[in-house]
Amino acid sequence: MEKRTDKNSYTILFAVLMVLVVGAILAYLASALKPTIDVNKQLEKQQNILYALGVNENDEKSVAFVSTDKVADEFDKYIVKQLVIQGDDVRVDDTAYLIDIKKEQASAKNPSYKRQLPLFLGVKDNKLSYIVPIRGKGLWDAVWGYVAMDENMTVTGIFFDHKAETPGLGANINQRFFMDDFIGENLLDTSGKFAGVDISKSNADPINIDKLDNEVDAIAGATITGDGVSAMIRSELKVYSSYFINLKKN
Amino acid sequence: MEHLELFFKSIFIDNMVFATFLGMCSYLAVSKKVSTAVGLGAAVIFVMAITVPLNWLLDTYLLQDGALAWLGEEYAQYDLSFLSFIMFIATIATMVQLVEIIVEKFSPSLYNSLGIFLPLIAVNCAILGGSLFMQSREIPSLGLALNYGVSSGIGWFLAILAIAAIREKIRYSNVPPALRGLGITFIITGLMAIGFMSFGGMLTGGADSGKSEVISQEAIQKIEKEVEGIVNNSNN
Amino acid sequence: MGLFKDSNLITDPLADNNPITIQVLGICSALAITAELEASIVMSIAVLFVLGVGNVVISLMRNIIPSKIRIIVQLIVVATLVIIVDLVLKAFAYQLSKTLSVFVGLIITNCIIMGRFEAFALANRPWRSFLDGIGNSLGYAMILIIVGFFRELLGSGTLLGMEVLGNPIDKTGVYAFGYENNGFMLLAPMALVTVGIIIWVQRSRNEALIED
Repeated sequence: MEKRTDKNSYTILFAVLMVLVVGAILAYLASALKPTIDVNKQLEKQQNILYALGVNENDEKSVAFVSTDKVADEFDKYIVKQLVIQGDDVRVDDTAYLIDIKKEQASAKNPSYKRQLPLFLGVKDNKLSYIVPIRGKGLWDAVWGYVAMDENMTVTGIFFDHKAETPGLGANINQRFFMDDFIGENLLDTSGKFAGVDISKSNADPINIDKLDNEVDAIAGATITGDGVSAMIRSELKVYSSYFINLKKN
Repeated sequence: MEHLELFFKSIFIDNMVFATFLGMCSYLAVSKKVSTAVGLGAAVIFVMAITVPLNWLLDTYLLQDGALAWLGEEYAQYDLSFLSFIMFIATIATMVQLVEIIVEKFSPSLYNSLGIFLPLIAVNCAILGGSLFMQSREIPSLGLALNYGVSSGIGWFLAILAIAAIREKIRYSNVPPALRGLGITFIITGLMAIGFMSFGGMLTGGADSGKSEVISQEAIQKIEKEVEGIVNNSNN
Repeated sequence: MGLFKDSNLITDPLADNNPITIQVLGICSALAITAELEASIVMSIAVLFVLGVGNVVISLMRNIIPSKIRIIVQLIVVATLVIIVDLVLKAFAYQLSKTLSVFVGLIITNCIIMGRFEAFALANRPWRSFLDGIGNSLGYAMILIIVGFFRELLGSGTLLGMEVLGNPIDKTGVYAFGYENNGFMLLAPMALVTVGIIIWVQRSRNEALIED
């Protein structure tokens, strides 16, 4: 005798009901939680930008952001101007930090589209820093970050994060020992051309004393993540480099 | 060229088994004999060749942020990406069962050689991994997605074929009793993975896309004007 | 009473029916996240939760799931559970969700979950399924933690991020005697070898498990 649950009609009914129930639960949750999640993401972006500027609550080894209840005020205080560069156009836009870099990169594949490039101007201790968002691909998924530079294109602060790099290996790009290595590295080579920073495995300078060699020490076992990070620094910051090279000339 | 590069990259450099360690469970469980390994490997290639392009279509026209724009302007704001896991998995499981039914109906001989492996594939994480990589690496076109599915499948096929051949031979070797079977397979796979790591050096040149678009002179002057204001302010 | 009768559901997977070393389930994640002890522990807790709850849900539904589409149903139950947890964490515990985001994909594709649904929960009552879920995830956790312990200790000389062997740059502790970290342990192939050695040890202690 055929069991009731083997009938085709039952199978189809079950499938339809399940799709409806699961779809309804997920759609309800996703739309109900979206505003809260969006606020969290915005605050996180502000925290990350401030972190790169050096506004954070780090102690000796930890990575500690400005707390979420203070971040909006601190952001207004330290980030004095947000610019968006699009083609020959430059505009001041207080929501520039919300620009989705992933979308901009994707639309830029269309040659007629002029990409929106955010540039944040931060002032800390009376020093002006240029902060630029970068984004690229690691081993498993996206990696991104914010780079703060002075007018010589020397890194004054950096923040990296990732979506799903291997814990213990590639995931360590958001740890202090890796990020702090970049501070002081100059992104231009000695002749004043843009060079970026290589994440080097055959580094002659593992404790990173030489800041002008355009190299930092790699994380052992995280080759592809490291390559992704140096590729994103190279390709994304190169776009901005003409501004700094121009500054140097004058 | 793009196709060729992706093809070799997915087979050797990003080999599903040896570089990302996906699909390990069925790789270890069904590699005792070369003949069964070939059957499972072929089934994986087949299913990946179907599901990766299919999921690419789903991702591009349904799931991505703004993907619904083809329905009309007002739909462009929807972002259904939170559904990608569930959609991909449902596609894979449905495809596997569909393929099973169709093959059984039209080619009983093929079904006899492939059929028993098909249910195993739905839980093979290499298949879902392939679709998720396709999404996260932003494969640009349907053709490349098909290429990626097939070549990742071939990479997996190659891996299981190699280990099955080694396991057939190793039966004649004097392995310590407690290490026989699963234990030695783990260790050999580790050694093979180390060997495959040497492919990592291939094709890494030319990562620089060579796009030399930089901020234009006109924009530079406008930025300088904006910056000037700040420097003056902070001096006051 | 019932509690003690079913206690073998918890103890068996810890040793003679271990999901990783005997049933060959959940290998991918055991290789991917064991370079650090902390990640191993987090993953273990996540699997404990998903497998415990998932087993109960599937067991409750066991009489109404049509057998033809049972695999799809099982996969959707896991995926829905994980996505719900992920969304809720993103809204109310954002920092925690960032730490866990890496594991979301790994949990859905973890065949230990599908394997236990199929092999146990579809044929057993909820309470027994729950115990089976807990037992198997503990067995899984045990291997993960052993592998994570050795990989982190030998690979980076730390445990849970603390420098237990001294500081390799300042040359303190054992590094003063010329000891070096074995960076190779951090690579995934060494996770395979470590699991291989665990299997070796386990089977030498219990000869009934030896394959011919």
